[in-house]
Order: sequence, then C-alpha cells, then structure tokens
Amino acid sequence: MLLFLSAFALIAIGLVVIYSAGGGPGTRGSMFAAKQFVWTGISMIPFFIILGKGFSKLMEWSYMIYFISLTLLVVVLVSGASVKGAQSWLSIGPFHLQPSEIGKISLALVLSRHLCRYPPNTLSGFLGGLAVAAPAAFLVLLQPDLGSTLVYCFMVFIALITSGTPWRYTGTLIACSLGMLPIAWNFLKGYQKLRLMVFLNPAVDPLGAGYNVIQSRIAVGSGGFLGKGFLQGLQSKLHFLPEPHTDFIFSVFAEEFGFLGTVFLLAIFGLLFCRMISIAIKAKDQRAKVFISMVAGWIWFQTVESIGMSMGILPVTGLPLPFVSYGGSSLLAIIIAIGLISSVGLSSVKMYE
Amino acid sequence: MVDIRRSIDKRLRIWLLFMLAGLLALVVALWFFQVVRTDRYVRLASENRLRMLRFPPIRGEIFDRNGVPLALNLKTFNIMGYPLDIKKYDLLPIISDVLTKHGIPSSPEDLSSRIEKQYWAPYRAVIIVQNLTLTQMTAILSDPVFPRLLFPIQVTCRTYPAGSIASHILGYVAEISREELVSRGDSGYKGGDFIGKNGIEKQYEDLLRGKSGEEILEVDARGRKIRSLTEKVPEKGKDLHLTVDLGAQRLVETLFGDFRGAAVAMDVETGEIRVLFSAPGYDNNPLAWGVSGTEWAHLIYDESKPMMNRAISGVYPPASTFKPLVGLAALSEKAITRNTSFFCGGTFRFGGRVFKCWQKYGHGNERIVSAIKDSCDIFFYQAGLKTGIDNLVKWGNLFGVGKVTGIDLPGESTGNIAGKDWKMEKFHEKWYQGDTVNYSIGQGYLLVTPIQMLRMYAALANGGKLFLPRLVSVNQPQYTQLDLNGYNLNLVRNGLIDVVKRGTGMKAGEFGVSVAGKTGTAQNPHGLDHALFVGYAPDKEPRYAAAVIIEAGEHGSSVAAPIVGELLAYLVTHDETYSKQN
Repeated sequence: MLLFLSAFALIAIGLVVIYSAGGGPGTRGSMFAAKQFVWTGISMIPFFIILGKGFSKLMEWSYMIYFISLTLLVVVLVSGASVKGAQSWLSIGPFHLQPSEIGKISLALVLSRHLCRYPPNTLSGFLGGLAVAAPAAFLVLLQPDLGSTLVYCFMVFIALITSGTPWRYTGTLIACSLGMLPIAWNFLKGYQKLRLMVFLNPAVDPLGAGYNVIQSRIAVGSGGFLGKGFLQGLQSKLHFLPEPHTDFIFSVFAEEFGFLGTVFLLAIFGLLFCRMISIAIKAKDQRAKVFISMVAGWIWFQTVESIGMSMGILPVTGLPLPFVSYGGSSLLAIIIAIGLISSVGLSSVKMYE
Repeated sequence: MVDIRRSIDKRLRIWLLFMLAGLLALVVALWFFQVVRTDRYVRLASENRLRMLRFPPIRGEIFDRNGVPLALNLKTFNIMGYPLDIKKYDLLPIISDVLTKHGIPSSPEDLSSRIEKQYWAPYRAVIIVQNLTLTQMTAILSDPVFPRLLFPIQVTCRTYPAGSIASHILGYVAEISREELVSRGDSGYKGGDFIGKNGIEKQYEDLLRGKSGEEILEVDARGRKIRSLTEKVPEKGKDLHLTVDLGAQRLVETLFGDFRGAAVAMDVETGEIRVLFSAPGYDNNPLAWGVSGTEWAHLIYDESKPMMNRAISGVYPPASTFKPLVGLAALSEKAITRNTSFFCGGTFRFGGRVFKCWQKYGHGNERIVSAIKDSCDIFFYQAGLKTGIDNLVKWGNLFGVGKVTGIDLPGESTGNIAGKDWKMEKFHEKWYQGDTVNYSIGQGYLLVTPIQMLRMYAALANGGKLFLPRLVSVNQPQYTQLDLNGYNLNLVRNGLIDVVKRGTGMKAGEFGVSVAGKTGTAQNPHGLDHALFVGYAPDKEPRYAAAVIIEAGEHGSSVAAPIVGELLAYLVTHDETYSKQN
C-alpha cells in the first residue's frame, strides 16, 4: 500500500512542520500539532468505514452525498462563521468544519458517476456535466472562497478530459473561460484584485500586499541546499510569516529543510500521483478512473498552487498544501478521498485473483 | 466499451505525465530559488542589504458627545536600529552612553535584553528607546557621538486629557502581553504594540486599533538606504464619539468630593449613557505610558479599589429604591389596588419576628402612592408578602435585575436576583416568608449594580422600554418593550413625584428642574450604610434618568438625592431639544 504510506509520510512531515511553524516547544506550535494529530486519528474512522463499505457503495449514494454537501454549503452561507472576509466555517460543537472541503469529495463522486452514465462526447452530455457541477462551484464562490472555486473548476475540467470529452469541446471551454476573465475581474473583491496585481509585479505594491510574498520568498530562498535545520527557521517564528502553519507552511518547510527537503517532499507527492493513476488504470470501474483523476487534480492543483505561491511565482489564494497544512477539514476530506481510492485498489486486486 | 476504457487509460497516462511535469517545474523553480538564489530579495537578504521596518498602527481618538477630546494621540518618537548593525559595530556601549548623557539611563544589558525581546531577524528594525519628545529626540540625534545607523520614527502615545474623571469609561492602553499575543493569534499584533486593556479602549479595540505600516528597503554595504522596495503607510483607526457628556461627568466628580461610590445617567429615550462615574478614580495617563511594578501593585492592592468600575461592577442592595418595583409588581399581580391600605405603627410582627419601619413612630394608614412617598417599610412588607416571592422575582427579571445590562464596557457584574431556586442551590435551604419581607424593601440577598437600577428607572420613566445602555451611539437603539399597565405605572410614578415634592427626596428638587425618584439607605455589613438615590427628570416628560450610590453615605435623602438632582438639572438644562421647548 504505497499510496497509503506516501499519504502518511506527508501527514507526518506536516505534523513536524506545523510544530515548528507554531514556534516549537512550549508554544502554540505544539497545540496545533497535537490538534492536527487528533484530526488524523478522527479521520481514520471514516477511512476504515469506507474501506469496509467499498467504493461502489458510496458511488450509489453519490447523489445523496452531493445533495447533503450542497445543503451544507447553503447553511454555511446563511449562518456560518466569517473568517477573514469569507463565510466558510460551520461550527458543530467543538469542531469547525469547512463544507467546501467535503464538497470536493462529493463533487468527484457525483460527477464521475454522471459523466460515465451520460458521456460528454455529445454536446448535451458535456453541458449536462457542467450543469451538475455548477451549483457547488457557485456556492463556494459566493462565500467568497476564490481558491476553492478554482480547485472545483480544475477538478471538473480534469473529469471532462479523462471521461472522453472531444478536444473541440474542451478547446471551446478554455476559450470561453479566457474570454470571461475581464468580466470576472470586475466581480473580484478589492483584496483579490490586489493579490493578482501583486503577483504580476510584487516589487511595486503601494498597499503592502506583496509583503507576505517577499517574506515567504526570503524564507524559501534562505533555506539553501541543506536548509537551516528543524526549528531553526527565522522567518517563520513569532508571526514573521503570516499564517505559517496553514497557507505558508511550505515556506517554513523549505527554510528549515532546504532544497534537499523540498525535492524529497515533491518526490513523495510524485509517488502518490503515480500510485493513484496506476490504481485508476487497473480499475475496471470506469467511474473509479474518472473519480481518481479528479482527486489527483484536486491534490495536484493545491500542491502546485501552494508551493508556487510561497515562491511568489503563483498568486496568493490561501489554499492549504494537501496533507501538510494545518486544518482539520482539509485533512479529513483528503483522507476520505485516499480511503476511497484505496478501496478501488483493493477491489481490483480481488478481481484479478 | 473496451475502447472507451482504453481511451480513458490513455488520457489518464497523459494526465499523470502532466502532473509529474508540473512537479518537475516546481523542482526547477526551487533549484533557482534555493540553490542558485536568483531571487532579488533572497540575494539582498543573504548579502545583508535588506532591511525591514514596521510602523505601529495609529489609534483612533475618542471624543465626548460635544467633541471634547477624551483620548488623544501625542506625537512622540522612537529611536530604531537594526540588530545586524548594532552587533556588527558593537553599538550598545555607545548607545548606552549617549542615552545616559541625555537623561535616559540605560545600561548596555538593559538595551540588549530589550532588543532580544523584539528580535525576529537581524535585518528587522527594533525599538531602542520609545516615546521621546521632539526636543529629546533632536538633542540625542544632534549629539556627535550618536551612531548614524540608528534613526528616529514618529509614533504616537496615548494621552487622556480628562484623566481620572473619565478613566472608568475609557480604560487605558498598554503594551500587549505575551498571553494576549498568543490568544490574538494571526490578527497582526506584534510584541511592543499597544492594546486596549480596559473600558472603551478594550471594548472597541478592533475599531480603534488601525493598521500597521511596513517598509522594506535596500541598503548599501554601509547600511545606508538606497531605495525603498515596498512601503505601506500605517493607517489610523476609527475615531469614536461617545454619548458621554464630559461637562456632566466633571460636575459629578466635583459633587462627589471625597465620597466613594458611583453615578450613572442615561437618556431615557435612547439608552445613551451621559455620565458613568466611579470613585475613587485613577489617572489612566501613567498606565498608558507604562508604570513600574510597584506603582501597579499600589493601584491593584489599594483597599479602596480605585481600578474597579463601581458603576457597572459594584454590587449593592438596592434598598428602598427597589420599592417602586415591588409596588408595580403588587399592583400588576392584583395583590393590591390603589386603595389597598396597610397600617404602619412602626413595627410589623411576622413569623415570630419583629420587622421595623425606618420611621419608628409609624406612618399610620398608607396606600401605594403615599407609601412610596414616605418610603414606608411596613406597607411594602405586606404588599411583598401578598405578591409572593415568585412574582417579585418575575418582575425583577422583567426589569433586568441581577442580569448584565449589556453595556458596551468590559467587566460588568450580574448582581443577584435571588429567589427560591437560588437559595436552594446556594444554601440548600428553603425560602422563608421572612426572606420575602426583607426582599420587599430591597435588602437581604438582593444585589444590583448601579447601571441596573438606572436602566430600571429609565424604563419606569419611558413607559417600559428597557434599553441596552450604550456609550457609543448606534442608529437603532435596542430595547425590550415591557408590557406594563399604564394606570399602575402612573400610580408608581405619582409616588416617585411625591417623593421629591413632599417626601424623603425633597433635596433632589432644589435645582430648578422637576425631579421624580426614590431614596434608599442600604445596610452595609462592613460599616456605615450606603446612600442611594435613583430618579429621572423632568418628572412629567422624562428625558434623563440618573442613579447615585454613595458608599457609607448613611442617608440617601441628604447625600445622594442632591447629587442626582443637580446632575439631572444639568443634563436637562443642557439638552437642546428641551431648552427649545421652554
């Protein structure tokens, strides 16, 4: 179970970096790391339930699951807690959940089922697929959580491609999206526009939004080949980097473990993707193939975006680095997704016997 | 079918290759960043040519309702330096000499530990000395031995022109503590920042705070600025205009003299607080500038508790000021009518005990209006017994007795409404009728804060609007409309008018404005009785309510009543709408 091992290697790295990012021993770093550890434990419950039930069982329930997620996304808009201008948190007792994270799984389930039932090789199938996915993406955009919306869109895009959309449709979709950009620009909030502008030119930034990016770049760069060593990063300590345990966790890691460490981390991600696609190819269930490609799209998009952002070569969107960043909901969602993929892997092994 | 699956597999392989290519691109980018170090900022940082500087946020200022300043920012200067330069040129002894020469004694060890506390990175500026006046700053800078690598920045320091008169309203700011830094998380506070520690400064911290500024600059090999790479100027927080009238506040302070206690006044139609005063007071100016441990201990352990805001945190028995509520409850629950009379012979025997009236010769036959006027204890003992403790507690609850009022200040006390359930839980003892007798005249287990009493009387004055008291006005004042019988309410209000016209509170009516209200003298187990008066004015068309408690003031009628009278007269005569009408 190389998939499982690489996922847990990433989570373990995450715990170490979260600890360091929070300031090391006797600070909130240990509290964050402990919380994340508890979340990992909690996430194992659904993980094993899913392994027991099997992928196809959940596939049967996919419409219901999707409906529940959409309801949660509406609830969070109406009564959720607002954090940093986005209404994306739902409090259930001591737990704070981000429905948009669970929404990613439900979207992957429902869309892979739908696209295999009604293949997008005709125009109506293609538009039907878009129509199924649209409400989820739209509700997340309303929060407004631009980063997650981009993840949703990217997942839909990958699903359409793998499920056999003719290239002329995808081409048109891309052209349309590009055409929409100037219109979308007007809908962006001031700070979002600023982030994008800062990305285009971080040095000239009258309002200081580039400040974080510059600090993050220095953190990554000062790591050098070998890194400064565990707990030795200066940039990340004492609020020097904004949110070092979530959005900018890679900067902390890169500073402390250097180029060697970052290549190692990326190699684990590479291994993870290879295993996912290999399970997808071995699977007989067409829906599983599309599902896995979507989950891979989700993890890949966030990984590239989060790492690119900390080097200042991609705009700041506030997406967590999968497995590594502090955050219960995001960890829970990803472990569930890994559980589903493992279940696909197990069932195809059984069939070959 | 097989065909479709094969086409999907082909696409999956392409997708995998694409993903791996993406990761590889990241590796290449990281190679450039971490090994070749092509990034400009990384290069500047590694060559020690990058400097970062933070400008603390500028706090919003606070004014009273007439625009009189209550909290202002004084322009002062901090002398800053970079740990990198200080270490490289061994500047600490020089700095210590210069500062000591200019009357700021600081040993190299002090400086070193101060720098240590603020240290983040060698190229991030730290404060060497703070809060210098312009003269101090120029004197130090023009000293020939002053190290050129240090530089001043302009900052602000909080000052409170009204000092102890308004310190319980405003609170004060001080340097953020380690615990606050941790609990505030990623909200942008840095060590050395100022944060509201009490009062309005604490309550409206998020509005007042403002935003910090930052500058990243490039310097040459000798530490001189070449250019600014990014710059963000600090932003000022929001100015606050309070509902408080400093003139009235000042008047109360004069009237109090050396008394301890509290005074509060409210606009009965909006819930806006006009006066909130607690004595003894403390000067909040030195707290904002930083006090030593011993000075702080003096304030905290002073047995007169000057830091305590008695207006919202002090709990007292309401004593006779509670009687109008008992009367209203008795009328509303139909335990009595306007014509029910009880005979007061100075004593009341009940359950084998003798309860006395304050007037030992007795009041004769009393009805509700005259009983309020005379503050007859015997009448209310019996009215309370007929109403029953549960109904009294119910009416107390309606008027917010024993509950926080929700005023926009931290540290409000709840008081205690008591009652059967409370006594059972607290003492595992049942409620006796005798307890009800004491309760009916506002004694016993009943405890209230001055702001609660004020709000209750304001609701009597305005026809049952129980306001959320505010120090910062809002467009839509919040209140709960109580369902009161107008006829019963008028009986109680007539009683309150008579108190000042010809009853126990005549001294409140000597200031040219018609006042209605009630005196109170609360038993104090620790010493002399507390004196209370709560009332409103003008008596027929109330505009303002006020409550005063004087600790160990002995008699509400002679000590507290005139203060309320003079305060209400001030408020009413300074009211624009009122003076236009008359």
